[in-house]
Amino acid sequence: MLTIETDEGGTLVMKGRLDAAQAASAQAALDKVSGTVTLQVGGLEYISSAGLGVLLKTQKRLMAGDGKLRLAGVGPHLRDIFVYSGFDQLFEIEPGR
Amino acid sequence: MDSRVPRPRLSALDLEAILGVTTALAQPFDLTTMLAEVVNAAKQVLKADRGSVWLYDPAKEELVLEVATGIPAVRVPATAGLAGACAQSRAIINVPDCYADRRFDPRVDRESGYRTRCMLTLPLIDHRGALVGVMQVLNKAGGVFDAGDETLAAALAAQCAVALQRVRMTEALIEGERMRQELEMARDVQMSTLPASMPSVPGYDVFGLSRPAEQTGGDTFDLISTDRGLVVVLGDATGHGIAPALSVTQMQAMLRMAFRLGADLATAFRNVNDQLAATLADDRFITAFIGVLDPREHRLEFHSGGQGPILHLSAATGTCTSYRPTSFPLGAMALAKLRPAVTLALDPGDVVLLISDGVYEYHDPEGNLYGEARVEAVARSHGTRPMSELAARILADVEAFARGAPQQDDVTLVLVGRAPRAAVRRFARRVDALPDLVAFTAGFAADHGVDPTLLTAVDFAIEELFTNMVKYSKPGGPEVEISLARIAEGIEVALTDYDVEPFDVTGAPDADVTLPIEERQPGGLGIHLTRRLVEALRYEYLPQRREARVAFRKTGPAK
Repeated sequence: MLTIETDEGGTLVMKGRLDAAQAASAQAALDKVSGTVTLQVGGLEYISSAGLGVLLKTQKRLMAGDGKLRLAGVGPHLRDIFVYSGFDQLFEIEPGR
Repeated sequence: MDSRVPRPRLSALDLEAILGVTTALAQPFDLTTMLAEVVNAAKQVLKADRGSVWLYDPAKEELVLEVATGIPAVRVPATAGLAGACAQSRAIINVPDCYADRRFDPRVDRESGYRTRCMLTLPLIDHRGALVGVMQVLNKAGGVFDAGDETLAAALAAQCAVALQRVRMTEALIEGERMRQELEMARDVQMSTLPASMPSVPGYDVFGLSRPAEQTGGDTFDLISTDRGLVVVLGDATGHGIAPALSVTQMQAMLRMAFRLGADLATAFRNVNDQLAATLADDRFITAFIGVLDPREHRLEFHSGGQGPILHLSAATGTCTSYRPTSFPLGAMALAKLRPAVTLALDPGDVVLLISDGVYEYHDPEGNLYGEARVEAVARSHGTRPMSELAARILADVEAFARGAPQQDDVTLVLVGRAPRAAVRRFARRVDALPDLVAFTAGFAADHGVDPTLLTAVDFAIEELFTNMVKYSKPGGPEVEISLARIAEGIEVALTDYDVEPFDVTGAPDADVTLPIEERQPGGLGIHLTRRLVEALRYEYLPQRREARVAFRKTGPAK
């Protein structure tokens, strides 16, 4: 299960599990955003390599247009994955608690 | 002289004399030195030629005079003579002419050759009003003891009583502390005879622990690796304290030697029994379970001398079978004939529980016993957990049952668990089967006490390997089989792909994670990350069966 919603402040909030089964719909939702976007992932319990692919594709597209994706509320599981994959060098990351 | 006559007040000089003595008496002397100091103080302050202090022994109702080191003390009933009269009345007795007083006993003078003229006898009473002893001073220089001396003596007696009491209390404390330290050392020695770590037996989880009721206990357990298998021992000697602790340690040493010399179970059991029968006192014995686990044939063969019940939990049926001892307790008498050993066949997930009386007979405050049924209930509910955890749960359940009642007997548990069969399930070769996979791992973790924080890494690896299998095979092919098994501190996972070509997915090279974003590709990260998130990732291909198997392990620190 995965939900992607915009809160009142305009932040994109992603909650649930971003796995191979959810990758396509997640990509479809992220394809709609532009500019500099903050993605709140505090509620994202799990991400697989398919999910990483979705984030990478989105980042490349946004950066080509002078924007970018910022990831906020990154918890320990996601942080380990971002470090091992070098994604911490590709995204602006704000750790969660 | 009547002690109720109002006393003269003390002069400044008198007070100074008392003060000087009091300071001396505040020193941390041992009892003998303190007694000598008290006598010296009395002689000095009262200008007496001799003095002595009788200590009161309330247990025997006697007055005790320490004459000198090495010579037995003189003991008299606490009613005898002038000292006794003083002890009973707790009044000062001033006798100016001893030989004219009926209470005076001249025997001591006759033996020593001394001539007692006058004597002042005072009670020594501490600050709580307890009688500590009686002090006597003899032969005042140049005369007899007067009212002034009585007043002075009373003040001195109060100081002496306190000083003596303090010394006696200190000596009792030191003695108590020394005994405590000796018992502490005995406990350390005994604990060191228990296995320092649980032996590693392939396919098995073995755990033991022992908690004495006092500093040392009569329980023991042992786990001995031999070429025949693992020898498992649980022993319980009658009584608790140092003596039974020594006898179980002896039994343990005998058993280890017997197995080292190549004895089989029956020979070891019989010989240790007979040797203990010869060595132990007539009223002492040791109940002991002695078993040998063959981890390849999955059999536990045992003899039990009075130790029981022996519980065998069947994983398949969830029921517990209880076995009785095969012989009388060890050391009770020589064995004429030994019944055959009992052999338990252990299926995957089965648990054998060896538990000492201290658990079954633990009382609650109303006197109810914990009993076998409660142990079985905990075993049935938690038998799939690691043995160390099952042991902890049994102890926690006993504690809850006891509601504060103290541990009366030593508590010892040895649990032998055969590793459970893996949980195995097949999944359709489609990406939308992923939620079922997640449910499978989550359910297994919950049932088997696997740390749920390990699941994110486990699910990542399974998803990666599973989606690879889905991607690189024909759609509609046979289902993928996934097996999950509990291991110490974590979980072992295997994915089996049927009817496929060999392709080592784990051989993919690491991605270059230092490339700038324009050059990064979405793929290629899965195996790179899987390698870092889980342990022992390996691939196997069986060509005759066209089967590919990928396995890994995930463990975390013990909680």
